[in-house]
Amino acid sequence: MQNFVRVVQSRWLALLLLAVLILFPFIVGVLTDSSPFGVARGDRMIMRGGSVRWQSVLIEVYILAMLAMSYNLLFGFTGVISFGHALFFGTAGYVLGLMLEYTALDTGWALAIGVVAAIGVCGLLGLVIGLVTLRLKGVYFTIFTLAVAEMAFIFFGRWSVTRAEDGFAISDLPVWLDPSQSRIGFYYITLAAAVATFLFIRRLVNSPTGAVFKAIRENEDRAQSMGYNIINYKLLSIVIAGMLAGAAGLLHVILNKKVGPEILGVAYTVDPLLMTIIGGIGTFTGPVIGAVSLHFLDVFLRDATLVLGGVTIDIGNIWALLLGVIFVAVVIVFPLGMIGTWQRWRTRQRKR
Amino acid sequence: MRAQRFSLLAIVGILLFLVGVAFVNSNSPGDFGITLLSGLFQGMLLFLVASGLSIVFGLMDVLNLAQGSYFMVGAYIAYDAQHPGGVIDLMGALPDPNVRFIAAVAIAVASGALLGYMLERGLLRPLYSRPIFQLVLTFGVSLIALEAVKFIWTTTPYSWTELFGVRETFFELFGQRFSTYRLFVVAIGGVLIVAIGVLLQRTRIGIIIRAGVEDREMVQALGINVRAVFTLVFTFGCAIAAFGGAIAAPFLGASTTLGSVFLLQAISVVVLGGMGSYAGTAVGSVLVGLSIAVAQDTAIGTSFAALPSITPMLLLVLVLLVRPSGLFGNTR
Repeated sequence: MQNFVRVVQSRWLALLLLAVLILFPFIVGVLTDSSPFGVARGDRMIMRGGSVRWQSVLIEVYILAMLAMSYNLLFGFTGVISFGHALFFGTAGYVLGLMLEYTALDTGWALAIGVVAAIGVCGLLGLVIGLVTLRLKGVYFTIFTLAVAEMAFIFFGRWSVTRAEDGFAISDLPVWLDPSQSRIGFYYITLAAAVATFLFIRRLVNSPTGAVFKAIRENEDRAQSMGYNIINYKLLSIVIAGMLAGAAGLLHVILNKKVGPEILGVAYTVDPLLMTIIGGIGTFTGPVIGAVSLHFLDVFLRDATLVLGGVTIDIGNIWALLLGVIFVAVVIVFPLGMIGTWQRWRTRQRKR
Repeated sequence: MRAQRFSLLAIVGILLFLVGVAFVNSNSPGDFGITLLSGLFQGMLLFLVASGLSIVFGLMDVLNLAQGSYFMVGAYIAYDAQHPGGVIDLMGALPDPNVRFIAAVAIAVASGALLGYMLERGLLRPLYSRPIFQLVLTFGVSLIALEAVKFIWTTTPYSWTELFGVRETFFELFGQRFSTYRLFVVAIGGVLIVAIGVLLQRTRIGIIIRAGVEDREMVQALGINVRAVFTLVFTFGCAIAAFGGAIAAPFLGASTTLGSVFLLQAISVVVLGGMGSYAGTAVGSVLVGLSIAVAQDTAIGTSFAALPSITPMLLLVLVLLVRPSGLFGNTR
């Protein structure tokens, strides 16, 4: 009975949170006295005002959370480390961008084919990389992903078809999707995508397949000797994680309406790694909490200054350095991350 | 025996191919010489990063993703110490540029050793029971190193301006001017390859290290403090990487991209040569260095401008596909 109540309580909290997030544009709209739909000018909406600005911050959080959750599926639940997650994120963005800008298709069709093709390509990439490296033990998968991602970054940064370092802009999107015409519509799309990713990963990890993932993470040899084909399971995990990261990359490209080599850059490998580890690897909420806290800190501290003994320190300048130090400290002192450490603390309290 | 013969054939084949391409591409013997020399130069610098990476991986199973950062930090410190102003100002104390360069290299090596010691003792040691986290940790350290360098020296790349003895002279061959400094670096690299090889083959500590690469637990069981050997080897590897950065700086300058570029190149060297194999690292460095120089030569004026920067990665991918244990790796 007590157990039942606890489940209801936790679900109730999640539902409340979801309701707050759905109403968020309107709540902020009331608080900052701005319209959640932007400012009307003629027959177009101009994206201006407090509510719209806050929607973008949360949209970025949702995208990063999706990326971190996909990373966590691989690293936290299957125990496979990739140092090239940006490869999936960026490749999907490039595929969609090329479809929209370089094919003569109708916008709606180009979008539909682009999304399917992008996610398909990411899955295929994961499959190929996995097939090539997973038969080898140890660090080879990590090295290989690092090398391939770096190669893609350099290649797309110099390829004339994609306008090299400048990248190219995506100009025509349907109104319901275009974040510069209907931010709130895109807000709900990303929210839905993030929630769907969360539920999907939880369902997957709690399934028998997920149990094998965790068995591989805990002890690969034992999982193999129990008769599971661990390579197939790892491949599945990589393909799914790659497709989810690709989906996050698609949303990112649509949000910024620009495709450039920076979406393949090491930042989109580092971000999910930091978010997963600081939030708590191998937990469902960890990557989300990590994404929320790191992105908010980033937004707030970018322009902050700290006066220390008469010397003014620009936090924005040393933020990346601080983040690195926090990251190393977490790896050594709190390897379970925020959520993992809290869960362990609570279990201990309960046992007492 | 068959595996050895294959490796030998493969090495000779790749070497002949690279030299052949360089020869076909060059217009004159001087041109050809420049490609070869720049390949060897690059190869020796790579060896300085890759040797530490390889031995540390063989001995401790730690792939130190911060190894490239030590190279970068070495380059920055050497630049800073040689030039007026900056954090370390030696202009007043050592007016002679030659002496100052030696001092600059010494400071860089000492800092590399100190930072390496701190990383192994302070950060890696608590994590030997969690190997995945060691990998993640060294990655984190490389981020910190990069940000620290950006904070101290800003992101603007420096090019070396303070010339000294070997750096400013040239010698002429086949009607082509060659920089003496490149030859100097190649000579130092060659000497170090032999010296470290002798150290590993002939001395007691070298025997312990090689035994440790084969079987760590057995060495421990024989009553040797393997942890202390780990620290020593790790520190030494980082010091050599910093030394590489310091002697590369007069030619390559100091920039924030050095770390990741040399890390990836060194990793491809180590994979090509075979993880943990010293001879493999030495041969692999020369091969990768030459292939980069040949690619640079080939790519000039063509639309494949990105070719030289992705050559090491292409090689890495190829080796992993065809022969993941590398040229000298044991096929476990």
